[in-house]
Amino acid sequence: MQRNWRQTLYHLLLWAVSLTFFAPVIWIILAAFKTRDDLLAIPPKWIFTPTLENFIDLAGRYDFASSLRSSFLISLSAVLIAIVVAFLAAYSFSRFQPKGTNFLMFILLSIRMVPAAAVVVPVFLMYTAFGWKDTFWGMTLFYAMFSIPFSVWILKGFIDGVSPRFDETGLVNGGSRLHVLFNVVLPQVRPGLIAAFIFNLIFVWNEFLFNFIIGGRRTTMVPVSLVTGSISQGGVDWTFVASLATVYLIPPVLAIYFFQKYLLVGMTFGTVRGEV
Amino acid sequence: MQTRSVSPRPGVPKPGLGARLHALRMRWIDNSPHFPAMLLVPVLLFFLIWNIVPLLWMVGMSFYNYSLVTGDPPRFIGLANFADLYNNLAVWQALSTTFIFVFFSVGVETLLGLLLGFLFWGSTELPGRRLALTLLFAPMILTPAATGTFFRLIYDPTFGVANYLTSQLFGTKIDFLGDKAWAMASVLLVDIWMWTPFMILITLAALGSVPKAELEAAEVDRLPWIKRIRYVILPHAKFILMLGILLRTIDSFKVMDLIYQLTRGGPGNTTEVIGITLFRKAFEGFTMGWSSSLAVVTLLIAIAFTSIYLYILNLRMEGGER
Repeated sequence: MQRNWRQTLYHLLLWAVSLTFFAPVIWIILAAFKTRDDLLAIPPKWIFTPTLENFIDLAGRYDFASSLRSSFLISLSAVLIAIVVAFLAAYSFSRFQPKGTNFLMFILLSIRMVPAAAVVVPVFLMYTAFGWKDTFWGMTLFYAMFSIPFSVWILKGFIDGVSPRFDETGLVNGGSRLHVLFNVVLPQVRPGLIAAFIFNLIFVWNEFLFNFIIGGRRTTMVPVSLVTGSISQGGVDWTFVASLATVYLIPPVLAIYFFQKYLLVGMTFGTVRGEV
Repeated sequence: MQTRSVSPRPGVPKPGLGARLHALRMRWIDNSPHFPAMLLVPVLLFFLIWNIVPLLWMVGMSFYNYSLVTGDPPRFIGLANFADLYNNLAVWQALSTTFIFVFFSVGVETLLGLLLGFLFWGSTELPGRRLALTLLFAPMILTPAATGTFFRLIYDPTFGVANYLTSQLFGTKIDFLGDKAWAMASVLLVDIWMWTPFMILITLAALGSVPKAELEAAEVDRLPWIKRIRYVILPHAKFILMLGILLRTIDSFKVMDLIYQLTRGGPGNTTEVIGITLFRKAFEGFTMGWSSSLAVVTLLIAIAFTSIYLYILNLRMEGGER
């Protein structure tokens, strides 16, 4: 009986820690359902009549619809391209180990470790010179590059786990190399594909700096809208920012709820595998 | 029947030009000795266009005086930009701010992460564990552009909830982001909130890599906790922990959008890390040549951190632990 009681206490403690970490997010979600007066009230209001007005206002805004559409289109296409490219490379690295495999793998990983603020300067100069600024493909292909290193790492790990005997069997039975690649190996690394897909989607969905600098009116994504919305002249439009932030955070939070077992491999760029 | 005359019967292959070309392509791929290299072509193309080209551009530009404001063409000035960097007090100031930021953020996140990681170690029977962990890990998967916004609302000097709490508890209001004495600590707190969950995750993974049998043996032997950590847990957990700490160090050194959204480097230059300096010189001052030289230096520092990470990762992979 006493042990039971202690365990309940322990579980309550764990929940309290989790809720503490989530509290700032809850505060912004609450703000999204407040009227402007409630939001700016002193002292802050915990109990109020919720309103959907902010979301109705949000839906009517031109920049909301366009940035949401850009976010979805650009992140989905970038990640799909990245995964195809990364899968081919990972298969080559895993099966044939061409000269320089380790070197290339490490170079790829180090791309992701480089400070964005340093890279954005030359990328900006290059995009200006080539006229790629504020174009759908300019943005998408950049993000594809941004998603490749992690995808290669994670997929190579998974392909290493598929025995080469499957490939041999496929080839001996008259399958072509591409058949083996896409119909024999691909289905077996599905968890790797899912993890790469979900986490790159989150990373691209979250990216701010490059979209801010090499994007423009036509390719503005949600994080940039959030930042520019919060520095508008004559005070911050808090109801807009809070409701946009609430819409923004739904996909990532759902993703880590449903794909929690890939969280570790996702957050360490495919270098540490395991479950929590 | 109408439909049958419109579309030919399915299942009967009639090799058209497309199909024959396809067969030819397949045979070409199947017989090529360069198949492994062919698979790498797309990656190498991406790498060339989006990495090598900008890299060369940056290194080249760092030897020029090029400002987008004056509109003059770039002028070659040799190493003058680097000499200026070396003598520029603001750059040294920003570097030291960055290292202070890295030291405190990674330090506190590691300690808190270890502590809470151990706390969550036995959480397998927690009711609603998945939801609880989602809430716990949410901060790190949200963009700094958004979390920065949340905290500007919370820290707001007039109607922010943080100020409400301080005025209730201590009777004073604090302008968290506008006061020179508080700005750094307030920014650090946001970073710690965002990234402690990552260290919890890493700690859980590290603890998970300790074989159960050894833990049970330690339990049976009634080994004291200090020794259990020292001799049973650490030897297995140290690699993942080290990788986590290094990854956090690299990321923390990169910090830019969070601080940009919270304080823009201010007040004064109290929170101006190197990323902010770079951004402002390049996109508010438009001194592209000078910024490129600073970018080169920043890149070199980042590469130093990264090589340590890769070195340890390599050790671990050679050790056969994956």
